[in-house]
Amino acid sequence: MIKFIFKGILRDKSRSLLPVIVISIGVFLTVFMSGWMKGVFTDMIDMSAKFQTGHVKIMTRSYAENQNQLPNDLALLNVEEILTGLNSDYPDMEWVKRINFGGLLDVPDENGETRAQGPAAGRAVDLLSPNSTEADRMNITNSIVKGSLPGKQGEALISNDFAERFGVKPGDDITIFGSTMYGSMMFKTFKVSGTISFGSSFLDRGAIIIDISDAQLALDMEDASSEILGYFKEGTYDDMRADSVKTSFNSMYSIADDEFSPKMFKLREQNGLDDLLTRGENMSGIMVFIFVLAMSIVLWNTGLLGGLRRYSEYGVRLALGENKGHIYKTIIYEAILIGLIGSIVGTIFGLGACYYLQENGIDFSSLMKNVNMMMPPVYRAVVSPELFYIGFFPGLIAMTLGNALAGYAIYKRKTAQLFKELEV
Amino acid sequence: MATIKINDLVKKFPVGKGHFTALNGINLNFDKGEFAGLVGPSGSGKTTLLNIIGSLDTPTTGSTIVLDKSISELSNKQAAKLRNKHIGFIFQTYNLLPVYTVFENVEFSLLLQKISAFERKKAVMMALEWVGLTDKAKSKPNMLSGGESQRVAIARSMVKKPEIVLADEPTANLDSKNSHHILQTMKKLNEELNVTFLFATHDEKVMQYLNRIVSLEDGKVVSDEIKT
Ligand SMILES: Nc1ncnc2c1ncn2[C@@H]1O[C@H](COP(=O)(O)OP(=O)(O)OP(=O)(O)O)[C@@H](O)[C@H]1O
Ligand SMILES: [Mg+2]
Repeated sequence: MIKFIFKGILRDKSRSLLPVIVISIGVFLTVFMSGWMKGVFTDMIDMSAKFQTGHVKIMTRSYAENQNQLPNDLALLNVEEILTGLNSDYPDMEWVKRINFGGLLDVPDENGETRAQGPAAGRAVDLLSPNSTEADRMNITNSIVKGSLPGKQGEALISNDFAERFGVKPGDDITIFGSTMYGSMMFKTFKVSGTISFGSSFLDRGAIIIDISDAQLALDMEDASSEILGYFKEGTYDDMRADSVKTSFNSMYSIADDEFSPKMFKLREQNGLDDLLTRGENMSGIMVFIFVLAMSIVLWNTGLLGGLRRYSEYGVRLALGENKGHIYKTIIYEAILIGLIGSIVGTIFGLGACYYLQENGIDFSSLMKNVNMMMPPVYRAVVSPELFYIGFFPGLIAMTLGNALAGYAIYKRKTAQLFKELEV
Repeated sequence: MATIKINDLVKKFPVGKGHFTALNGINLNFDKGEFAGLVGPSGSGKTTLLNIIGSLDTPTTGSTIVLDKSISELSNKQAAKLRNKHIGFIFQTYNLLPVYTVFENVEFSLLLQKISAFERKKAVMMALEWVGLTDKAKSKPNMLSGGESQRVAIARSMVKKPEIVLADEPTANLDSKNSHHILQTMKKLNEELNVTFLFATHDEKVMQYLNRIVSLEDGKVVSDEIKT
């Protein structure tokens, strides 16, 4: 009987083609959008983790409250001691200190007079210790446009935009003006070792990257840092683990009424990411729901039309001794078969598209020139296991449900009534 | 022992607030092997009566016993089973399933029974042979003439070797030559396999072949003649 139904589906294109197309498209969109959004969020989390928030981040309580002012006067002290403690308490994580600072970037001419000036967004990370993973983590090496990484103290990388605008080349000197941790004026000259472009205007604007030891020296921050970032060694963010690390750290080291005591924050609770991610997750759910609903309605209608068109077939089958319950069952089998075909096709195409965009991301950097948020320049989709079912089952269910609903009208009718309708 | 026994059969259809009486006190018996017809003007209740005998509809009051089964007491499934195994239908408009081949159309009622593919094939080919269409087994219904289509419908009704075949205006869409052809085919099957045929018809050509003519008017039997 299944074979009989299958033949019917294959031969009667009007019975199968439209539903298969509708399901394929719906499933494709569901799979593709899910993979795409997952990818976008993963990229955003990843970028945020690497540049700003870590998987977890330690700051002093009061630094945390005024973070965007880069208040280094509130920086963490006794950093080496904290790091030693962290490394022994949480050996499965990697801990790094960073200093963020603001200031003015000054480009002198041959006579030492100011030739150009601009605001600087300084980042000091560990570039010089032999085992440092920071250059890799922030993708610095690959982002260098001209020149190379600082090889020794006193060297700096500066934003390629800035360098081009003011004609600064690797080898030139630049001076940074700012204030030390204790509030006195500081200025220090660096040799430009290279220029850098991350492709994200948020990161590139006025960027200057120096080694952490230089920053500690210049800013009077010996054994101090703006923040300590923690990374899971596997490289991916795990909110539950981050939560437990945070809870345990804070209960051991954070003193509630001491504004200079360290406090740990997990990625999700920084920079409004929680909101964004929750909204993203909800959106995926709503999207799938809307697709399924829309598909169900379309399929219900095609089911109704198909049912009408095939009234005489059902009439004959009744007369040949099929009971209406069985006819209803075959309608559902048919829907399941068609749903399977459509869902498989849609899932394959959706996975294919996601895979393509996983390997070849789309570069949005030109669109995000003026975006004041940290966004990765290139977005990729992610092929995750859930993509195999996230569209598949909704597609199957929509088709089956749509036809079960449409066919129920037939099932409810009296045999005699059904048969009558075939005669005219 | 009669194959079909109808006692005081009344069939009313709800119409608006009241109802319309389509059959009004029918008493009839048909024996095995009869080649009988219901005749009468349009609206006299012929189709209604055939549908009740065929267990596609039920009496309002009175009883209809077909092959020792009371139609009004059958469940949906039991009625379906009765049709599937013992009653064949032939319609004015052939009603072949357009998607399936001639072979598959004839095979359908056997698919509903638990019969092996081999047995099915044997039965279908024999039924097609009865109607002289073995060479069209693989054709689709839209490639057949009206006469051929109706012969496929006869094969479809006969393939399960039913006790009763109900034919509602089987010749209405056929020309005279094809009408005679299919009537001869049915008459032959009636004689060779001793199948009871019951027609509903206005067609003089059909009446020539019948050996019993029951006339209906306004839902009542007005005459019942046996020809010799
Ligand atoms: N489901 C129904 N609801 C209401 N009235 C019906 C229904 N079915 C049949 N009738 C009525 O019952 C009467 C008998 O109908 P039936 O179809 O049996 O006539 P018939 O003798 O087969 O006519 P024809 O020769 O035109 O086929 C008709 O008046 C018809 O309108
Ligand atoms: Mg009629």
